[in-house]
Amino acid sequence: MRASLALLIFGGGLAQTTFASFIRIGDVVPDIPLTVVVLLALRRGPEIGCLAGFASGLFQDVLGGGLVGVQALTKALTGFTLGKIGGHLWVHEPLVQVVGLVVLSIVEGVARFLLMQFFHFPGAFGDLMLHVVLPQSLYNGVIGAALVLAMAWTERMRAHSSWR
Amino acid sequence: MRVRRVVLLSSVIAVCLVLLTLQSRGRGALAGQAIGVVAAPLQTVLTKVGRGAVGMWTTYVDWKAFRAENRRIREELAGLRVEALRVRETEEENARLRRLLALQERLPLSTLSGEVIAREWGWARALTVNRGAADRIIRMTPAINPEGLVGRVVEVRSGSSIIQTINDPASTVGGTVQRTRTSGIVEGEPSGATRFKYMARDGEAPRVGDLVVTSGLGGLFPKGIPIGRVGALIERGSALFQYAVLTPEVDFQRLEEVLLLTGQTAVDLAGHFPGSG
Repeated sequence: MRASLALLIFGGGLAQTTFASFIRIGDVVPDIPLTVVVLLALRRGPEIGCLAGFASGLFQDVLGGGLVGVQALTKALTGFTLGKIGGHLWVHEPLVQVVGLVVLSIVEGVARFLLMQFFHFPGAFGDLMLHVVLPQSLYNGVIGAALVLAMAWTERMRAHSSWR
Repeated sequence: MRVRRVVLLSSVIAVCLVLLTLQSRGRGALAGQAIGVVAAPLQTVLTKVGRGAVGMWTTYVDWKAFRAENRRIREELAGLRVEALRVRETEEENARLRRLLALQERLPLSTLSGEVIAREWGWARALTVNRGAADRIIRMTPAINPEGLVGRVVEVRSGSSIIQTINDPASTVGGTVQRTRTSGIVEGEPSGATRFKYMARDGEAPRVGDLVVTSGLGGLFPKGIPIGRVGALIERGSALFQYAVLTPEVDFQRLEEVLLLTGQTAVDLAGHFPGSG
């Protein structure tokens, strides 16, 4: 289980720096690690969400060549918060998961921007939101929907095979 | 459980802040370098795999598109071939009918066009046309086409007629060599050939290439309709009659339409046929 979790977390980070460019739409690439963190937090709770967010964010920071710790912190907070409040939300509905992923992507983007302000990030908030955060959040929603469907199908297949 | 969560979150936040602080003070590059050393080969492999997958997918999509296009072009080509055949057929038919119509308008007697609907090519040589008693066709009506004489109607039915062609063994037509005015009889042969039987040593002898036209004697066929050209002369010693093998002007194998001469005329029709004279 731990191995598959690690594979999921680091695989997401590696996929972000390699495969994401192949599935870009225009200049927009999805945030695959964030999608993985959100789905893990929703299913495994705040601790796994926090650790997954930290690990994948840290990995992404290092591989991306930016400030190490920014994404680790924002993704860890995202994973923890979602894992915490996930129990109070109707998160078993795939639609809620997808919409939640879009909203959380935006929140994570805003949080990252705020954190970057301490390190004199030069980008304008409006431009960043319009050209990066919002399109990426929508794309994350699409990727999340695909993942939710894939997981539902996998679980159905597993249940079917165990019933037999 | 709750304490554990708080400790975990606090630790994560603390680690991140320490990392950020170290970097803002110019340290912390070592950890990044260490992870980079491990991750770089993996990234290289994954990128190659990704490019390979994209390349394969692109190749597949291209191949599929080419195959679909190929199939579409083949179908289009087959359709165009059929269309071209149809157009050529229509063009040929159009040309034939134009010539027939031109002849019909040139001739100084009433005519009726008929379409060949059947052929008899064995013991007897005959054509069936889609004109019959309903069209006031009677027995012995001459049939021609723009090249010359086809034959005569030997049997009339309500909606069709049977024409005995001039190469039928039972067919005899009075003919004249146009150049020498030598008279004789054109007969069919069982082999499908046509011969011109004429009086030997009566005036100038025919030559190969001479045109034989209807003589008009007997009143059945109007005068001057081309029958055929002399292909060979056959001398038979002192026989009274000599023969010339004729090559009919009409190609019976390809005959599609005929003109039935429903009226009579005493005028020499030779000038109305392009190949004569």
